[in-house]
Amino acid sequence: MIDVILSTMPFLLEGLWMTFKISLITIFFGSLIGTVVGMLRTLDYALITYPLGAYIHALRGTPFLIHLYFVYFMLPATGISWLQLEAFPAAVIALSLYTSTYVAEIVRGAIEAVPRGQSEAARSTGMTALQTMWYVVLPQAMKLMIPPMGGVYVIIIKGTSIVSVIGIAELVRAGEHATQRHPRELMLIYGMTAMMYFAYCYPVLRLARWAEAKFGSVRLPS
Amino acid sequence: MRKITKLLGLGLCALGMSAVAQSASADVLKDIVKRGELRVAVQTQGPPVSFVDKNGERTGFAIEVVKMMAKDMGVELKLLDYDWKGLIPAVNSGKADFLAADMTPNAKRTLVLSFTEPYLYSDVVLYSKKSQSFVKWQDACKGGVSIGAVQGSSNVGLLKKKCPDSTIKEFAGGGAAVAQAVAADRADAGINDIASAAGYMIEYPEFKVLDGAPKRWPLSFATRPDENHLLRWMDNYFMLIRNDGRLETLADYWMRGPTWKKDH
Amino acid sequence: MDWILDFYNFRVVAQYIPDFARGLGSTAWISLLALVISLSVGTVVAIMRMSANQLLWRPAAAYVQAIRSTPLLIQIYVIYFTLPALPLLGRRLDELEGGIIALGLNAGAYMSEIIRAGIESISRGQVEGAQSVGMTYLQRMRYVVLPQAIARVAPTLLGQTAVLIKDSSLVSFIGVFELFGAGLLVYNERLMPNEGYLTVAACYLAIYAVMLSLTGYAQRRLGGTAG
Repeated sequence: MIDVILSTMPFLLEGLWMTFKISLITIFFGSLIGTVVGMLRTLDYALITYPLGAYIHALRGTPFLIHLYFVYFMLPATGISWLQLEAFPAAVIALSLYTSTYVAEIVRGAIEAVPRGQSEAARSTGMTALQTMWYVVLPQAMKLMIPPMGGVYVIIIKGTSIVSVIGIAELVRAGEHATQRHPRELMLIYGMTAMMYFAYCYPVLRLARWAEAKFGSVRLPS
Repeated sequence: MRKITKLLGLGLCALGMSAVAQSASADVLKDIVKRGELRVAVQTQGPPVSFVDKNGERTGFAIEVVKMMAKDMGVELKLLDYDWKGLIPAVNSGKADFLAADMTPNAKRTLVLSFTEPYLYSDVVLYSKKSQSFVKWQDACKGGVSIGAVQGSSNVGLLKKKCPDSTIKEFAGGGAAVAQAVAADRADAGINDIASAAGYMIEYPEFKVLDGAPKRWPLSFATRPDENHLLRWMDNYFMLIRNDGRLETLADYWMRGPTWKKDH
Repeated sequence: MDWILDFYNFRVVAQYIPDFARGLGSTAWISLLALVISLSVGTVVAIMRMSANQLLWRPAAAYVQAIRSTPLLIQIYVIYFTLPALPLLGRRLDELEGGIIALGLNAGAYMSEIIRAGIESISRGQVEGAQSVGMTYLQRMRYVVLPQAIARVAPTLLGQTAVLIKDSSLVSFIGVFELFGAGLLVYNERLMPNEGYLTVAACYLAIYAVMLSLTGYAQRRLGGTAG
């Protein structure tokens, strides 16, 4: 058992590094796009909110594998040269878009939960829409945003395993390769990958908890 | 909701049109020589056909055949690793020139891809724990017996035909997961090719291989249906290495016994 | 017409309608049961986690963190491969039961965090008001806090439900036939990825659309978005 752990560890660590890279880039871009989309969706213009709603629901309602299939295999069929993506950028783009839909809904839900009276009051004191958003609405919305956001991030971290379909050797893939050499140690090797996910995800959740305590301690009045 | 479906439909239509515009390259062999690189899609389904060895090297019977192929072509080899779910799209979309796996051609599959002549025939066997009373594979073909198979493999269809009374359990996690299911008493028997099963016998001393083989599968490589030259070339190549004995040497090393285990 | 068949051969898909129907039914059923488990577990755990009593919040927190930090596939494998016969049941959980329970417990951890955020966003004034009219703790939760809390976080809960529905395809790792398996059947037998994958995507989207309209309905019933 010890020799299996020792011989597979370097490969699993390599996989973990790939998972780390992909998920970090994805979380960054996904949050960025998601926050913008989420804020835009709280606007009152149907021309903006409907297409964005369609985007969000189409992506959330379908499995990520399909998005990956679309970006990596179907876009090149258009013959447009900049759409001929290699595996890594394709995975990052597809995952970022997928992440953004979850972030967007959390942001929108949190903003809409802040009573309308507050932003109206802020506007009446002469604040611009942006100022109102930044100083009045967002600080309160944070309380609702942070706990599910931590959840979404760890879902994305674990969800990166699907990119192995297009040959990116991340943690689960590395584990699979190891189980093929040591089929008997399947549970041990999967246990090891679980520990590695834990080592990555647990601090993320602690960080979210900490952020919640620090930034989100406002209670919404009703 | 209606809006969403409409939008999605529009998007699909646009892609459909573009899909037709594709697939114009005349002869991929020319491209291979021009770019000096052979691009082959492989899946890593496990030893001894295709796997990552203890040094982190990608190897196995199918991989070594392709390596030899590229060397004899005089071009570099680029192995593109996909999961089974990505293997067919990889060839269809032109990302790979052909796919090298232990694929079994059949009447329906060959409607979509062109398969080479088989480079090897491989027996399918059933295995179980020694504590089971089965002797022949037919003994597992009765009501109340569950047989584990890799999800979507040709063996599933085979079991449905040959063992209609048994309960067939399809596991998505590959051959190792099926062996795990047999070991954990979640399936009474498992099915796999003889070389993989031989590997499990070493790992699991409590297992036995049941006598007889319900099927001998032909194993082929495959490419897009319009790549006639490449297909002819591959068939020709198999004929050549069969004649000079190199195919046999590889098959002996990888597929007929555990020799490879020492090196990999 | 011809290019549609080139891109997506619905004649082939039509031959697999029974499989897709079976897969869709299986996925819908598994998701529904797991959703019920996850919402019940999620609500209880959320309330436990907010308790001042260590014996309540510590195990709740441990459950939430442990589940969220590890992959679902491992949780399914652990329940399926390593769990012995259960004392009350007198046997081991079968594929379907094990899969549904693993899925429900997994989603429950995420749901509890979302519900907790919702509960914490309800103002103290409301709770105090309910207290002053003589409501017990359970009554306050049942009639004042939870309905509003859940209405507020409904979009996020829906998002988590979408994850749950798609995650349910992982039960195929322990041999349960579900929607994605039906798509893979077309892919495997016919080597037609579009026909397999896009049909599956459309079916998932259909389940999601039903969930979406149910959420809208529930949100209206529970009393609007803003508090």
